[in-house]
Amino acid sequence: MPPVDIGERLRALPGGTAVTLKLDPREYADHYFAVLNATLRDVGTETDAHTIYVTVTNPASFVWDLAQALDVSRDRISFVDAISHIMMDYRNPLPNATYIESPRALEAIMLRVEYLLRKNPHPRSIVVIDSVNSLAIHNPPDLLTEFFHILLNMLKSRQVLTVVLEVGEEESSPVETMLNLLVDETIDVAREGG
Amino acid sequence: MEVPPENPAAASPPVEGGLMAPATALERCVTGIEGLDNILSGGIPKGNMVLVAGSVGTGKTTLCLEFLVRGAERGERSLFLSVTEASDKLIQNLSTFEFFRADLVTNGSLVFVDLPVIYDRLGLEHEELSEDEIGILIRTIRDLVRQLGVKRLVLDSLTSVGYRIRRDERIRDFMLRLGLELSDAGCTSLLVSEIGPVAGRYSLHGVEEAIVDGVVLLWNTRRQGDILRVLQIIKMRGTSHSQAQYVIELTPIGLLLAPHLKGGRMEGP
Repeated sequence: MPPVDIGERLRALPGGTAVTLKLDPREYADHYFAVLNATLRDVGTETDAHTIYVTVTNPASFVWDLAQALDVSRDRISFVDAISHIMMDYRNPLPNATYIESPRALEAIMLRVEYLLRKNPHPRSIVVIDSVNSLAIHNPPDLLTEFFHILLNMLKSRQVLTVVLEVGEEESSPVETMLNLLVDETIDVAREGG
Repeated sequence: MEVPPENPAAASPPVEGGLMAPATALERCVTGIEGLDNILSGGIPKGNMVLVAGSVGTGKTTLCLEFLVRGAERGERSLFLSVTEASDKLIQNLSTFEFFRADLVTNGSLVFVDLPVIYDRLGLEHEELSEDEIGILIRTIRDLVRQLGVKRLVLDSLTSVGYRIRRDERIRDFMLRLGLELSDAGCTSLLVSEIGPVAGRYSLHGVEEAIVDGVVLLWNTRRQGDILRVLQIIKMRGTSHSQAQYVIELTPIGLLLAPHLKGGRMEGP
């Protein structure tokens, strides 16, 4: 029995908070679904929020399929997809997705998030970044640190709840160290459960 | 012994939007492009003549069109003087942006004039304009601005006009006189300058940047093969401004700016 429900923890956080959700790579599929359930349904749908889902790990279409299984309606979620182009997989673009050519275009990610926040003005917005590990594959640590520093501060000033997904490793990586400095809270999904 | 001032705030320059501001703030022409206004500490000082310089495909014309649309929306009559593209085609391209409102054109708030038509009507047929012809051109633009009460003007492009003026001293004279006329009319202007990738040069003749009140530079840069469009304010008289580089994106709702990430590296345009 998990001590605390992730959705409950996230729902309790005020706007402007940045939180890391740490997933265990050995139980990735279960944790990933639990995180989607918590962010998209528990927080997104139940608190009448609009979610901007930045996906670098899986194509938006993959996440959207899972979101539909969780009964998330299309007008509750927008995607910034930074992986489909580089995978040469953008033949059937989603109407609620905006596509970036490369996960290296970090400024473009910031600008698309900004665009979607303006396009969908909402009293409560959530930005999910999936994931810091995927961004780290394509970007050097210095650049990624600068990116997160600016993005998280920008979202904080707009009272947006930011959720950064991180697949945890045994040893602390430079990226994890950097994130620990920038976010307000880290939730270990393995310990907290879904 | 140093005597501290009675009012410390009076002794130090005021801070405006986090940037050092001049002691006396000039009236602003709020561009309406939020990111640009932020890095200009509130907008372009009213009446300034600003060079918008950049190579092909960097977003110069779109930036200028949005500047005019935002102005027309605020009740400031705006004039686009086009040399290189027909107005119909420009309006057609503009209509793909969500920020564009066709009624601004129909109600006369946003006016498009093709400069080649003016050349024809004035009989300015020579490949190289004489001093007299340059004078006629300036007076014609001045009269248009005065008669229509234009508060924002874009000339796209100064480079194309410069090809017909040719001599450095004449382009200098053209710009000084045009700048004076526009400033007197309280009209803030953007002059588009098409440049190649030559560092430190912002215009065809190389004298234009010294005369204008401001230079906004746009260029494409690469990161690991990916192209980024970058904007930087090189100079802007009468205001404090950011000196940082910004990556821009031309979105359906208008131009958006984000800080250009360096990751600890220094780069030039």
